[in-house]
Amino acid sequence: MFRLNLKIALRNLWKNRGITAINVGGLAIALAAFILIAMYFSYETSFDKQNPNYNNIYVVGRIYPEFKTNYTSPPFAKAIKQNFPEVENAGITKKGFFELTIKNGKQTLFAKNFMQADYNAAKILDLKPTGGLEKPAGEADRLSYLSKESMQVLFPDKIDNKPEMVGMGASSLGINSKINGTIINNPHSNVTFDGISIGNEIGQGEDYGMNNYTTYIQVKPGTDVENLEQKITNLYRSELLKGETDQESIDEIKKISTFLDPLSNLHLKPKAGNDTPYKILIALSILGILILIIACINFTNLSIAQATKRAKEVGVKKVMGAFRFQLTTQFLVEILVQCFTATILALILAELILPKFNNLFQVNLSIWQIDNDLLWQLPLILLSITLIAGLYPALVLSGFKPALVLKGNFSTSKQSTWLRNGLLVFQFSIAVIFIIGLFIINSQLKYMRSQDLGFTANQVVYIKNLTLFNKPAKFEPVRDKILKIPGVRLATVATDVPNGAENGSNGYTVNGLQANIDFVDVDFDYFETLHIKLKDGRFFSPSFKTDTANAAVINESAVAKFGLKNPVGQTIRGCNMDYKIVGVAKDFKAQGFESAIQPTIYAIKNPCGNYKTQIMLKIEGNKMADALIALRAKWPEINPKDGEDFRYEFLDELYGKLFKKQEQLQSVFFAAALLTIFIAILGLFAFAKYITNGRIKEIAVRKILGASDIQIFKLINSSFFRMVLLANVISWPVAYILTKMWLETFAYRIDLSVLPFIASAAITILLTLFTVSIQAKKAVKANPVDALKYE
Amino acid sequence: MIKIENLEKVYKTEEVETTALNGINLHVKEGEFVSIMGPSGCGKSTLLNVMGLLDKPESGSYKFIDTELLTLNDRERSNFRKRNMGFVFQNFNLIDELTVFENIELPLIYNRIPASERKTLVNEIIERMNIVNRSGHFPQQLSGGQQQRVAVARALVTKPKLVLADEPTGNLDSSHGNEVMELLCELNETGTTIVMVTHSSHDASFSNRIINLKDGHVVSEKINKSRNEELI
Repeated sequence: MFRLNLKIALRNLWKNRGITAINVGGLAIALAAFILIAMYFSYETSFDKQNPNYNNIYVVGRIYPEFKTNYTSPPFAKAIKQNFPEVENAGITKKGFFELTIKNGKQTLFAKNFMQADYNAAKILDLKPTGGLEKPAGEADRLSYLSKESMQVLFPDKIDNKPEMVGMGASSLGINSKINGTIINNPHSNVTFDGISIGNEIGQGEDYGMNNYTTYIQVKPGTDVENLEQKITNLYRSELLKGETDQESIDEIKKISTFLDPLSNLHLKPKAGNDTPYKILIALSILGILILIIACINFTNLSIAQATKRAKEVGVKKVMGAFRFQLTTQFLVEILVQCFTATILALILAELILPKFNNLFQVNLSIWQIDNDLLWQLPLILLSITLIAGLYPALVLSGFKPALVLKGNFSTSKQSTWLRNGLLVFQFSIAVIFIIGLFIINSQLKYMRSQDLGFTANQVVYIKNLTLFNKPAKFEPVRDKILKIPGVRLATVATDVPNGAENGSNGYTVNGLQANIDFVDVDFDYFETLHIKLKDGRFFSPSFKTDTANAAVINESAVAKFGLKNPVGQTIRGCNMDYKIVGVAKDFKAQGFESAIQPTIYAIKNPCGNYKTQIMLKIEGNKMADALIALRAKWPEINPKDGEDFRYEFLDELYGKLFKKQEQLQSVFFAAALLTIFIAILGLFAFAKYITNGRIKEIAVRKILGASDIQIFKLINSSFFRMVLLANVISWPVAYILTKMWLETFAYRIDLSVLPFIASAAITILLTLFTVSIQAKKAVKANPVDALKYE
Repeated sequence: MIKIENLEKVYKTEEVETTALNGINLHVKEGEFVSIMGPSGCGKSTLLNVMGLLDKPESGSYKFIDTELLTLNDRERSNFRKRNMGFVFQNFNLIDELTVFENIELPLIYNRIPASERKTLVNEIIERMNIVNRSGHFPQQLSGGQQQRVAVARALVTKPKLVLADEPTGNLDSSHGNEVMELLCELNETGTTIVMVTHSSHDASFSNRIINLKDGHVVSEKINKSRNEELI
């Protein structure tokens, strides 16, 4: 029986090979997209999962009334471990806060993150130096390791794991240090580094004010985490309150609490930080599922459409005594075979697309891994799509009443026509949403690229630097030397560059009104280098002696925040000193388009400020290359601390990285929109072919009765036209809501216009008419006599 | 062999109720060849469908050699049908994707006959039906008469006790029609009971007994003397 069923199935598929190819091909494409997304999903959700204590590790963070942070101080971890027996281990790590240059002869490594960890943290995080994790011998001893990749840069020919001596910083400084060996840097972890230095204890002597560390704890299995969280908060407050007498400080401290963030949260949705990656991942997963559903709908639709042809077979088999169950199984197996073929094709496709995908998402995924989740996911997906796509048609087909179908003039019931049309409308609704989404993402990105940022990043070179230039007098000779190089027009130094990073913030008071605003500490020519426009008053100038003492420039947002009428000349107080406002700068988008411009104060002197290390130069475009060569040559003389390690980036490229995430989204949406519309059109193409074939007799009769070609085109197109129109009407409000939600994540955004909606309608309708007409043409051109012949 | 009593069947749609069978009583003896005639819509196809267990009546009784069939569930009906009945349709209803041989083989497969035996049985009947040189062809490659012969062969290959034929010559010209009728007669002579629905009094003349239906009633019953004499 199986053999005959197989024959029937294969011959049927062959007879309808066009439709079969479309069906299987469409499904394969959708499945390929789904496989990639499923792989990405497992990758993104399994950071650090290889850690044996994955479920028991938490980061301890702090909550202030205005913000949350993962940064904590060294004594805290010790206190936690001493006080709570359920905490098995507690350790701290410290990020490398500046780029470290490490040298071996002529080989130079710029270690962006050479971090520190105490032995406990290394154990908790399951760090694996080659040869195993060792406990440093003495109190002050450190064991330093380089990641294998970093070691490769410094010692290309090294094959053993013996310690090496390396130089730190510019060679003129003559600092040497020992590297004990290599360590695995797992990019699939929350803790990544170029190198790491492990000590028995780090941050000795630092108090609760030095919040530069990350605290990890490992709890015993079964610990009541909420309870522990509360206990840790109490501990933290009591530690801070020790010796505190000032009532105001005591009140402040009582407002601080702590939180425990599980290791599994850190990558996608850390409590201190944003959950955009998580949202993107969810959106991506929904996209993948939708695409798959649309391909399944093709299957369902075409299988039901083919039902009429298979009805006779069902009837005959039933008359001969086949049970309904047997027939259902037969049809399901047929669909399973097709889905299986599609899966194989999908794997091949996915393998082909993978390099592009990896590049876009900056991951390194591979299908051929033993521990790949696909191993169990794929069979599951295969079974589910077979059931989704095949169960209903199988039930419909096997449910035919033989007494009806064997009479010969049978047509599928009205009910399944409704279903088929409904599914088609659903497919097109999704496609329309994607098209509209694509249009709107495109216009927003175009807007972001063409919008006035309020400053000019072009031809501004940002130089990485280790020297602290907090006093203008210290930077002055450096500026003088730099400006001597032909092509360099302006030079300045500041705490922050406008690359989207957050500035520091502090409390400031004007006219008794206190507010937390951003601060950027700058030097002369900061505004000129970045070409920021002046609204009122003046910018800093060496000709005003007081500028280095107490002058401040604020931006328009700050003026608005404090509600100032005539800001210039007024006093703004912060960090226990009074500043005189000398000018107002026009707002500029230093933090990109997603967050609103922050009220900001710019000052040369700021006792509470950060290190001024970020050098920015404005260089004439046509002399750029020469100027950079000259700068590199003279850098050891200009700035001995960095010496020969002259490193720079173009500010416009740096700022451009802010668009990366949105460009990713754009690519994904482009692919998704293209895929859904393609698969939907494939389905429509096959469906229209089917419908037209079924109406050949009707069309022939109409032609004989005098219908013109145009009338017949209209006849065949009209029902499809109505369905696509309906799909547009259904999806417009949905697309409107979704795109509006997306746009609201931008502080600076386009207004929604009707154009994308109209355009998507036009595109889908035109594509539909085109697709259906191809099919209709065949029916119109056919000789009616052939169609009416006795079959 | 068949005892049908007080059979009632009503078709309901949203607007109208049509009484297709209105208290039909019918007895068929083993080895009989019965024709059912009547105008369109008189219920003859419905009666045949009920006899073939393809349709369920509202009430009445249908006994097949002392087994009451109307109380069976779907599965039991399927089983009973495949063991005891063969069908011939006006529009042949051969499966287009299967060859002549495979079409004829199909009922044997559903009756779980082993492959070797199936081959013998199919070849036997193909020979008997005179379609040996067609066994590898697909239905579309055959003429109507040949297709109907394949259909008859398919109905007979399981050696059913009862063959139900629904206008078997309706789609055939007269000479092909006669061939099929002669085939049915031969079959009847070997002891198979046949119930046939037909419009054609010519076809009916091949049977032992002709039953006339109108509006779901049996209006008359006629013994076909010539044929019965022939038998004797």
